[in-house]
Amino acid sequence: MAEHETDDARPEPEAPAPGGRVLAAVAGAVPVVLGAAAAWLSLRLDIGTLTDPGPGLWPLIVSALLVLTGAGILASVRRVEGTEAFTRGAIGVAAAAVGLFVYASLFEVIGFEIPSVLLLTAWLRFLGRESWLSTALLSVGVTAAAYALFILTLRVPLPHLIAL
Amino acid sequence: MDLSPVLTGFSVVFEPQNLLFCLLGVTIGMLIGVLPGLGPAATIAILLPITYNLEPVAAVIMLAGIFYGAQYGGTITSVLLKLPGEASTVVTAIDGHQLAKRGEAGSALGVAAIASFIGGTASIILLSLVAPALAGVALAFGPAEYTVLALIGIFLVGTLGSGSLIKSAAAAGAGLLLATVGLDPLLGTPRFTFGTDQLADGIDFVIVAMGLFGVGEILYNLEHRDRPQAAVPAFGRAIPSRVQWLRSRLAILRGSVVGFVLGILPGGGATMSSLVAYAVEKRSAKDPSRFGKGAIEGVAGPEAANNAAATSSFIPLLTLGIPANATMAVLFGALMLQGITPGPALMTEHPDVFWGVVNSMYLGNLLLLALSIPLIGVFVRMLKIRPGILAPITIVITMLGVYSIRNNAFDMVLAVALGLVGYAMRKLGFEPGPFVLAFVLGSLLEGSFRRSMRIFGGDVTEFVQRPLSATLVGVLVLTVVIIPVLRVVRARQVVRAAEPAEP
Amino acid sequence: MNPRPFTRRGLLAGAAAAPVAALAACNGVQGGADAAEDDFPTRAIDFTVPFDAGGSSDLLSRAVCLAAEEPLGQSIALANKPGANGAVGLKELVSGDADGYTLALAVKSLFAITPLVVDDPDAVAIDDFRIIATLTNEAYVLVVHADSPYQSLEDLVAAPSLNYGTAGVGTGGQLSLALLFGLAGTEATDVPFDGGAPAVTALLGQEIDVVSGSLAETMPQIEAGALRPLTVFSEERNVFLQDAPTATEAGYPVVVDQRRMVVAPSEVSDTVAGALVLAFEEARQDPDYQAFLQDNYMDVWEVDDVEARAHLSEAAELYAQNVADVGLALGDGS
Repeated sequence: MAEHETDDARPEPEAPAPGGRVLAAVAGAVPVVLGAAAAWLSLRLDIGTLTDPGPGLWPLIVSALLVLTGAGILASVRRVEGTEAFTRGAIGVAAAAVGLFVYASLFEVIGFEIPSVLLLTAWLRFLGRESWLSTALLSVGVTAAAYALFILTLRVPLPHLIAL
Repeated sequence: MDLSPVLTGFSVVFEPQNLLFCLLGVTIGMLIGVLPGLGPAATIAILLPITYNLEPVAAVIMLAGIFYGAQYGGTITSVLLKLPGEASTVVTAIDGHQLAKRGEAGSALGVAAIASFIGGTASIILLSLVAPALAGVALAFGPAEYTVLALIGIFLVGTLGSGSLIKSAAAAGAGLLLATVGLDPLLGTPRFTFGTDQLADGIDFVIVAMGLFGVGEILYNLEHRDRPQAAVPAFGRAIPSRVQWLRSRLAILRGSVVGFVLGILPGGGATMSSLVAYAVEKRSAKDPSRFGKGAIEGVAGPEAANNAAATSSFIPLLTLGIPANATMAVLFGALMLQGITPGPALMTEHPDVFWGVVNSMYLGNLLLLALSIPLIGVFVRMLKIRPGILAPITIVITMLGVYSIRNNAFDMVLAVALGLVGYAMRKLGFEPGPFVLAFVLGSLLEGSFRRSMRIFGGDVTEFVQRPLSATLVGVLVLTVVIIPVLRVVRARQVVRAAEPAEP
Repeated sequence: MNPRPFTRRGLLAGAAAAPVAALAACNGVQGGADAAEDDFPTRAIDFTVPFDAGGSSDLLSRAVCLAAEEPLGQSIALANKPGANGAVGLKELVSGDADGYTLALAVKSLFAITPLVVDDPDAVAIDDFRIIATLTNEAYVLVVHADSPYQSLEDLVAAPSLNYGTAGVGTGGQLSLALLFGLAGTEATDVPFDGGAPAVTALLGQEIDVVSGSLAETMPQIEAGALRPLTVFSEERNVFLQDAPTATEAGYPVVVDQRRMVVAPSEVSDTVAGALVLAFEEARQDPDYQAFLQDNYMDVWEVDDVEARAHLSEAAELYAQNVADVGLALGDGS
């Protein structure tokens, strides 16, 4: 009985807007481009033969599969659904990703504590719109809890500043 | 069969010290299972020094507990947060997370825990009865058999998707392509490594799963953070309803058998088991369209299978000394450090270790079931936390987990990059499931195929000349060609039969 | 096991050493460092295992570090950082501080065999390191299945065609068999697996005819009677396998082995290196460590930095020469 409730058990807050023809075409173009690029790189490796394959053969086959499926998606642009339009929120996604890259690059240099507090602060305050107080409490609290759990309890060799 | 060593094994388990370490092991296992990215192999390696001063039996009981305990814990994050930490829980995440979104997280996890318990326990019973006889099964599988098995797996990946088939195929293709990154398995030629030896050994599966599923999902939700949040659905109970139980019953049984059999194969059998179990359930269901949208059988079958496989993957280690996966390799090391060589002689030379470990798993599974039910109640409350708070906490823990795989910050960069890929895939209507599983099976397929060709001297027909691989080729043809064709034919007949009745 | 703290060691040590440093400054050269180094080590040492947990390098590292903690008077924190036959972890070691607080395990094959397979302009070389302690010399043994028709090396090389399994490209097992069959003119196909265990599994299942692997990988199966050793690729017979003749005895001068050692970055000061060398020398005498070697069929290799260095560069030249003589292309060639 449960599965009959799938769609109407609770109202979807606001269904994401479908992506339309352009995004559907992008969905087909990406595999084609990716496959073509990989095929070009594979061809620069030794292909060998089917009975004695070189390093390039299998990547080439997979690239061909990608190009074919991509072409298939392009051919049915009108029918294939499931894409979603990008919204202004995508800027937040890009910012978050940049933040995570910075996090990863600082991690081994200055240990995990400061980057973790900074990352949590940025996400909580600017992406999550928490108050400054709860942001401060949470980011320090979570970092301390992670320290206790990973470093003190599980002894995971994470780079860290504070030696206890 | 002489039962006395088995009974001695039980008396070993019930020594207070061993009971304690069993409890400790499964608790740690469950904990690290819940923490995304932190896997049992890394944890056991980290905890090895603690075991130096323990009795060998106690040490191995504890470490084994971490391994199968992590299987239970991993389900929780897969279902609640769509963060599968192991290849075997990727499948669970698909329907499990849908159930959670619908407010049935409690009962989905309840079914998963019960399925895990039954799968694990059934597998131990089978292991105790037939382990020595089954050791040979692992050896019967050569590169040729793995080639066909991987090929079956890749076609089964197609059944995972609930959307467009061609998009699933494209996602699987991308997964296969990513799997070729690294040194060529036979020739050592760098492929798509762009000159860095960080990529020489390829990309760890966990990073791919964490990136595409976990980070991708978080980034996706971030875009829509301004959208009014859905009312938090009721969580339901950890005890499944009668209907759910009736639906899951047979799925659990089938999953247990599938998992036990495939888990014996050291080269990727455990990964295949949950996939095969899912495919079996979807194909045998009256209404396959429910799958991917929250079918409880899609959780029960694969969960029973991956726990049964986790248990039977001890068979090659304990009977042949062959570690079936990274975790088993570390356990192998733990035994070696204790001065015990796992191998053909283990059962006769160290029956207390063999039966002690095997029998401790009965207890361990029981403890895990007892731990799971109340813990589920605690963990589902996580969903009540505002996404604005839950997301950053999840991302930090995921990043720390990813780092711990190889103690390498480069892997964190990879996980974020793959997270962006996962986000873009979601926007463009591709599903991550086929990508991730094709990634796992891709290197198995390529490596096994090329090894086979070398062994066969380039003769492809040998695949159908060896009895076992020929049988598997038969299974492949049956599932990929014959059954779908029959379905189409039958569907047409139904349509034709129905037509005259139309007014 | 201790975590690895990123303490501001430079500052702390500098502050502590300041008065002494003023005196020591007239010695020129290393200034204040000497004073701080005299009581080296003052905190935990980080030890990188550039391989996966559970393998031979990992187990050996754990055993020797455990034994070295007492003579050092500090704990040693072990972390696995696998990748590219140890290159990932060792490159990091080289790029880090050369203060003696970071050590790693290194293997001979990375310096002697990997360059024959992988063409990496940034590859680490033995000159980037100071060898603190040489540890083991592990022989490669050629094994066939117990039911195999081949009873001796002569039988084997006379076979019309063979498939041989190895633990992967650029491993000593691959090199040893490629050289043997190259010298003997046997038509043999190389089947590299993803590690030693899958290769042994395939041999147990008789998918392939022969494997060359380490004793740790093969001895349990040899003792169980499942595999038969035909030859070892060492200069002298192996202590654990007295009955197996060397390949050289049988007329094929193929000597390939794996050796493991503890290394520090090359710029580490003499004082610090001296303290480490002494500690590891003592560790090698530890009865538990020696029992570990015995249990894992590892032969000792205990020489000084100069001799070890000479051995590694000679081996690299010898292998390159051997490969050229036989006309082999390991892997894809380079």
